[in-house]
Amino acid sequence: MHMANELLSVPVAAGTLAIAAASLGFICRKLRHIITSDKLALMGILGAFVFAAQMVNFQLPAMPGTSGHMVGAVLLAIILGPHAGAIVISSVVIIQCLIFQDGGLLALGCNLINMAIVPSYLGYFLYKTATAGPFGPLRVYIGAILACVIAIEAGAVLVPIQAALSHILAVPFSTFLITMLGVHFLVGLVEGLVTVAVLGYLQQVRPDIVLTSLSGKVRLSRKAVLITLVIFTAVIGAGLSLLASGLPDGLEWSYAERPDQPDFEPAVANQDHRIAAVDDFQSKYSPLPDYSIRTSKLGETLGQEAETAAGWTSFAGVVGAALTMAFIWLTARILRKKESTEP
Amino acid sequence: MHHAHIDKFAYQDSHVHRLDSRVKFIVVLVFTAVVISLPATSLSILACYAIGPFAILVLGGIPLRFALKHILVVSPFVLVLALSCPLYDKTPFAMAFGPFTWQSSLGWMRCFTILGKFIVTMLALIALVSTTRFNDLLTGLQRLGLPKLLIIQLGFLYRYIFLLIDRAHHILRARAGRKLKNLGAKIELKTTAAMLGSLFIRSIDTAEHINIAMQARGFDRKWRTISRLQVRSSDLLFAAITALFLLGLHFLVRPLLH
Repeated sequence: MHMANELLSVPVAAGTLAIAAASLGFICRKLRHIITSDKLALMGILGAFVFAAQMVNFQLPAMPGTSGHMVGAVLLAIILGPHAGAIVISSVVIIQCLIFQDGGLLALGCNLINMAIVPSYLGYFLYKTATAGPFGPLRVYIGAILACVIAIEAGAVLVPIQAALSHILAVPFSTFLITMLGVHFLVGLVEGLVTVAVLGYLQQVRPDIVLTSLSGKVRLSRKAVLITLVIFTAVIGAGLSLLASGLPDGLEWSYAERPDQPDFEPAVANQDHRIAAVDDFQSKYSPLPDYSIRTSKLGETLGQEAETAAGWTSFAGVVGAALTMAFIWLTARILRKKESTEP
Repeated sequence: MHHAHIDKFAYQDSHVHRLDSRVKFIVVLVFTAVVISLPATSLSILACYAIGPFAILVLGGIPLRFALKHILVVSPFVLVLALSCPLYDKTPFAMAFGPFTWQSSLGWMRCFTILGKFIVTMLALIALVSTTRFNDLLTGLQRLGLPKLLIIQLGFLYRYIFLLIDRAHHILRARAGRKLKNLGAKIELKTTAAMLGSLFIRSIDTAEHINIAMQARGFDRKWRTISRLQVRSSDLLFAAITALFLLGLHFLVRPLLH
């Protein structure tokens, strides 16, 4: 579920990057007081552990030929506490982006929110809520499975929302959402089972790790969490209602159709010649020309000549690009040969 | 360690490798933003934008086959979503390329644009990562304002990833050597849990050893590196060339192709 650059528009990507950066900055600030220097190595290595754990795959029941692996966000949040867990998983997501190129640079904000920050905090909170009270294995099991399923689903739901806000994909929002929910229900369930099994194993072999939870003293005040959840839900709800009301896209919404500010309309419909000039300029050198603008300029349907002309220009573009690349490649090759023969 | 280092080319030396990591990072970020804001109906312009990362890969001596193979590995999610576009968007759209014109749907156009942009931005990211040592990149990111804790975390993570992946390989090999058939869901799960659990415990033990070693050498929560960053004239030249390339494509080539 790594989000890619291409499924996002620039405003959505920039917005999510800003949110992710702000929350990471906040968490780091918070952690600076909690964490002692002997935890630094531990956090780093547990990040590497997540990578290694994702390589350990196992056969899924009832689905021969498929295998699953663990994601690890909730397990780390339970053992390390939500702040440290979120930082560790964030670092994993950043490394996946930078070293393994999984998910793009601009999509990093989305990926951090979907896969690191939301699952860590939500998973930890759900687990703690479910296991509050007297300790019992059944409570722990149910709590961990519940936490994994819901935390992963919450991250997965955000993917179609971000994609829909960007208006790049043609896939209907509901289809995408249902597919993501279905797939990630299975992922979450497997994750929950593995998390429970690993917790059980650790309980047997090194009970000190599970009981004291390496996290030390981490307190999430229930009020703060509830308020965050309410805000989160409100933001998502607002996003969904925006989508449902069928607005074309965020950018157009911001300057053309402001349902919240009816007075805004005349400013754009202004007959000012400067605006007309800008419009004209934009349709000529437009960075984002809609296909409809182009066809309306050329007439209802593209004429045969216009079509051929468009064909030749695109042909020229591709051939020109290919020739340039070939030229660069040859030059570099010749230069390298020279270098290797000279000394 | 027997696995291929994914960023093995970062340790080569070339003009591109010697550029300042901050400059490269910002250039790639801007380039990516420009490429993904391109209209969904223009494919040939993407070929022109591909020249940039291509040139950097070639100048840096990165084999193209490595880059393309890597893009293929990370593509499944995008591929599925892109290929679902033609199913839903059937607005007729006339495509034309050279002497050929044919009637297709806007969905296919979107599909190809998404894939094209994916390839171009991924080439740029690979060009950044495989011409920059990770430590230099981290120092650069720290100078750009990333929190110190996150930098330390990333540094540790990078250092031990390959070690732990190796360990995971050993454990997997041990299981493959002992397990000759599918043992049923319950035992499979139990085995996996034991593997992950032992890996976890070993990681924690390793962390303790490292911590002791670090304390013994006087670690004071400061992350010191020998990477020296300096914006030189070659970096400014690189930034200027990129700016010229992007502006030229935007104002000269793009109107021509439309």
